[in-house]
Amino acid sequence: MSEQELKIDLKSICKNIIGIGKNYKDPSKEHVPTNEDPFIFAKPISSLITEGTSIKIPKGWGTIIHEVELGVVIGKTTKFVTEENAMDHVLGYVLALDMGKSLEFDKYPILLIKGFDTSCPISDFIAKSKIKDVDNVNLKLSVNGQVRHDGNTKDLIHKIPRLISYLSNFFTMDYGDLILTGTPVGISTVRHGDLIEASLEDLANIKFPVVEIQ
Amino acid sequence: MASQSIKVQSICRNIIAVGRNYTEHAKELGNPVPKGNPLVFGKPVSSIITEGEIQIPHGWKELHHEVELGVVVGKPGKFIKKENAMDYVLGYVLVLDMTARGIQEQLKKQGYPWLLAKGFDTSCPISDFIPKSAVSDVNNLNLKLTVNGDVKQNGNTKDMIFKLPDLLSYISSYFKLEYGDLILTGTPSGVSAVKHGDVIEASLDDIVKIKFPFRLKERNMFCKIQYKVASNIKFNKIFVVSLTKININF
Repeated sequence: MSEQELKIDLKSICKNIIGIGKNYKDPSKEHVPTNEDPFIFAKPISSLITEGTSIKIPKGWGTIIHEVELGVVIGKTTKFVTEENAMDHVLGYVLALDMGKSLEFDKYPILLIKGFDTSCPISDFIAKSKIKDVDNVNLKLSVNGQVRHDGNTKDLIHKIPRLISYLSNFFTMDYGDLILTGTPVGISTVRHGDLIEASLEDLANIKFPVVEIQ
Repeated sequence: MASQSIKVQSICRNIIAVGRNYTEHAKELGNPVPKGNPLVFGKPVSSIITEGEIQIPHGWKELHHEVELGVVVGKPGKFIKKENAMDYVLGYVLVLDMTARGIQEQLKKQGYPWLLAKGFDTSCPISDFIPKSAVSDVNNLNLKLTVNGDVKQNGNTKDMIFKLPDLLSYISSYFKLEYGDLILTGTPSGVSAVKHGDVIEASLDDIVKIKFPFRLKERNMFCKIQYKVASNIKFNKIFVVSLTKININF
């Protein structure tokens, strides 16, 4: 069975979503490399939605923020993996939105502000072979037609093999698990009635309306 | 359905934990007692073990035990009302919410999330499944933990700040709960550090007991070396290398 014939339904197989924060250089500024470890957090799988479901802002929050990300789907048991072998553990990709209440990590539990229901909209599965160069993938997001993110994975600070290797030192990942690799600059707020559209090259295109729970 | 056949590790796809849910535990760590809403965090399901050793990544030094009542969800629930909350409970497990305290303190200082300190592999040892009917009063359960036979934690669920209906209602308002999901309801005071070779035993009343040794695996754990030059070296045997990625002094 070729990759293209596999019908991967991530909502059914995914048991772990790990998000990476602060992982893109700002191309308009000079990047000062640091020795810091990746900023990692988790989103519960209850946050996953696919097209047809709206992003739902919890009652009373008013606005939430958007982030557009390349999601890496793991293909096999992954533990203590070297950077050299890391890409062998990749099954494929998804285009993902990492929605959040805000960036106030010191004020609210991260599970709450990053993990609420519908905070992880994803595209259909993208077969690994469809992305020829994972370090040159364009990610774009617009709100009501206005472009907010227009970035490229070449600006990733911690690249994908490093992320997989680092995470695999602490967490056994498995078939279907998802790593959200960070967002390029352009975070802004959305509110009830907005429409988010995002694309990954010409490989995936997603649209999600935003509503606030009454 | 024979409840003995329920394997929580197989059915669980979400672990939501509650922090600082016992007043004395919040105080012992110098943390504010939550007012208003429970403090929630997640543990990945990859952290669950039902037997074997608790281990920490090489280079980490301090690990704390936290004994907790775990609640297993029995059916899908969203916006669960407190009055009906217990209808959503399938049963319970006794849990250890193992925490790398030194790492957690450093992460707090950096403004980083706790995932690393709370979610590493083997950080969620659990007992066999306990059917709901085996517990007559969930608000009067003794939680006890010993290390090498010395009692460290000895609490009761009556001291929970947010009780089960509060937790189920609050949690399900943000996160849809599914059959098999696990909620860790907080730990009483008495948390302490365990070291290599220690054996942790814990009990939930006289309903269930668990025993887990904590050992650092010195000999057959391979860790990726940070430095570029080393990555070109071919290893013909496995040996332990210090995990230097975390720049923490403690």
